[in-house]
Amino acid sequence: MIKDKIKTGIPGLDDMLDGGLIPGRAYVVSGTSGTGKTTLAMQFLLEGARNAERVLYISLDEPPNEVVENMRSYSWDIGPIQVFDATPDILSYDKTPVRDVSTERKVVYFRDSGDQIRLTSDRSPADVTINTIQEMLKQEMKVRKYSRIVIDSLTALRYFYIRTSEENSSMISFFRLLSDIGVTCLVTVQLPEISKPDVETHMARGEIRLHKWFDGRGLMRGVTIEKYRGSSHDHRLRMVKISSDGIVVKTMVAEKQEPIPEDVAPKVEKVEPATAHHEGPSPSTPGESAGSSPQDTPTPPDEHQGTGGGGI
Amino acid sequence: MKIISRCRASTGIPGLDEMLGGGLIPNRPYVVSGTSGSGKTTLGIQFLQQGVRLGERALLVAIDEPPAEIRENVRALGWDVGKIRILDVHPAAKAYSKRVSLVEVAAQRSVASLREAGPTAKAEAMKQASPEISVQSLQLMLKQELHESPYSRVVIDSLTSLKKLSETMEDMNASIMSLLRFLSESMVTSLIITDLPDPTELEPEIFISRGEMRLHKRMVAARLDRWITIEKLRGSAHDTMPRPMTISATGISIDPRKKIPKTSLKMLQAFTQYAR
Repeated sequence: MIKDKIKTGIPGLDDMLDGGLIPGRAYVVSGTSGTGKTTLAMQFLLEGARNAERVLYISLDEPPNEVVENMRSYSWDIGPIQVFDATPDILSYDKTPVRDVSTERKVVYFRDSGDQIRLTSDRSPADVTINTIQEMLKQEMKVRKYSRIVIDSLTALRYFYIRTSEENSSMISFFRLLSDIGVTCLVTVQLPEISKPDVETHMARGEIRLHKWFDGRGLMRGVTIEKYRGSSHDHRLRMVKISSDGIVVKTMVAEKQEPIPEDVAPKVEKVEPATAHHEGPSPSTPGESAGSSPQDTPTPPDEHQGTGGGGI
Repeated sequence: MKIISRCRASTGIPGLDEMLGGGLIPNRPYVVSGTSGSGKTTLGIQFLQQGVRLGERALLVAIDEPPAEIRENVRALGWDVGKIRILDVHPAAKAYSKRVSLVEVAAQRSVASLREAGPTAKAEAMKQASPEISVQSLQLMLKQELHESPYSRVVIDSLTSLKKLSETMEDMNASIMSLLRFLSESMVTSLIITDLPDPTELEPEIFISRGEMRLHKRMVAARLDRWITIEKLRGSAHDTMPRPMTISATGISIDPRKKIPKTSLKMLQAFTQYAR
């Protein structure tokens, strides 16, 4: 039933995922701002491009020229990745007719995307909604068979393209579309500093969460697999390094942090209801494995615990 | 001061450019957040003043305070800020008469330089029937102003007030996205001033902005401790440590080599750990 897994291209992460991602499904990459979501997604697409696959980056929060500029600090070249600029136009606030973005804009290679911001046309701003993006995806999939798609970010889609009243139903139908088109998708989700489970992580087939925190010596980074349907996976918080080669996941489990008074800092585990997470038999949560309890006994770092639910 | 790389916009705050890896990447929107009295407006004006010093045109969108008050406040710091242009959107004299349309609002905007902003200007503003102020109408006002004369630096002080003034919460996110997009397309490097964000909420402006500088203050015994953190900066290496900050007669300055006192660090650590 389960097809061969595909590699994410991030050193160390495939090991955590017990070999990689099950193809044809949608996964969430979550984290607060600046944790490396876009970088991780780019490495995922580059891995596909290296294998001569068709890969597509749908840019929703940053214009492509800025993405190119931001990624310039890495040693790799995102030129061979195709990009669709789905950033919204300036609103004109008058009643000029708007055009459907899926007919107005084209998928291009990053290397052809230009170094200036696309300017809103005076005459007819394009209307970007969740529906037009769905339409665009369907059309694109008919013409070209993509094997990897990144949507960066789903948070922007949710904030700027959906009317609040239909937010959840729109998100659910969007995930349905992603599974219908059968492409391995990474969708990025930006979390607030204190987060609670939300519909997108519930709908996704898996969630890779990036963390950063401050421990007195400086900024620390880590990654956890919060959820992975139909596959065994690593349940612990692993250290992450971001260098000019991109994200690298270390085999080292994140170190215990300094104890802090109870009244100042309740544990994150209390904030998050555990329901939306692991269906696997292991009760371990990433927070615990990070060593928040002093009696936590060390476990071998290469151990993969539990299999995900998903009715396998 | 360090030599600023040519492709970065210098903030004019000693020490801050170094924390930012050379300065701000131009033509992008950034957020300055902090509690009241943490120095957000001061930072914004210093940023504009640096623009003027470099021969750029700089615009302050004054929403929280009327221009005359801002002028008095910065005069206390002994600065000459005469060349900063100011767009007065202070809702001092809200007239509860008839509603005016957005187009009329745009026509009523007034831009004066800070030098001119005197009590008379304030009185004049009071007399005017002040129109509705919203994220939408600000974008339209700015569009008209920037169409006539291009600016390279804009400070919006503050978006928090603007959001509260905007009567319709509907499509607020899309309007903010549109405003920031407009500033980017107009080749403006902008600072958006906001209150300290609620950690359980993802504010759209913080999420869309390409960087966030956060100002902190705390009373430690009888001393007021101030520090600054760079919460995010897209496309650039930056200092991830909190650095001590002082506000003196010459404005804000940051010591990018010093660490903040242990007591303050503890508080910050507790907060980020809680946040995780």
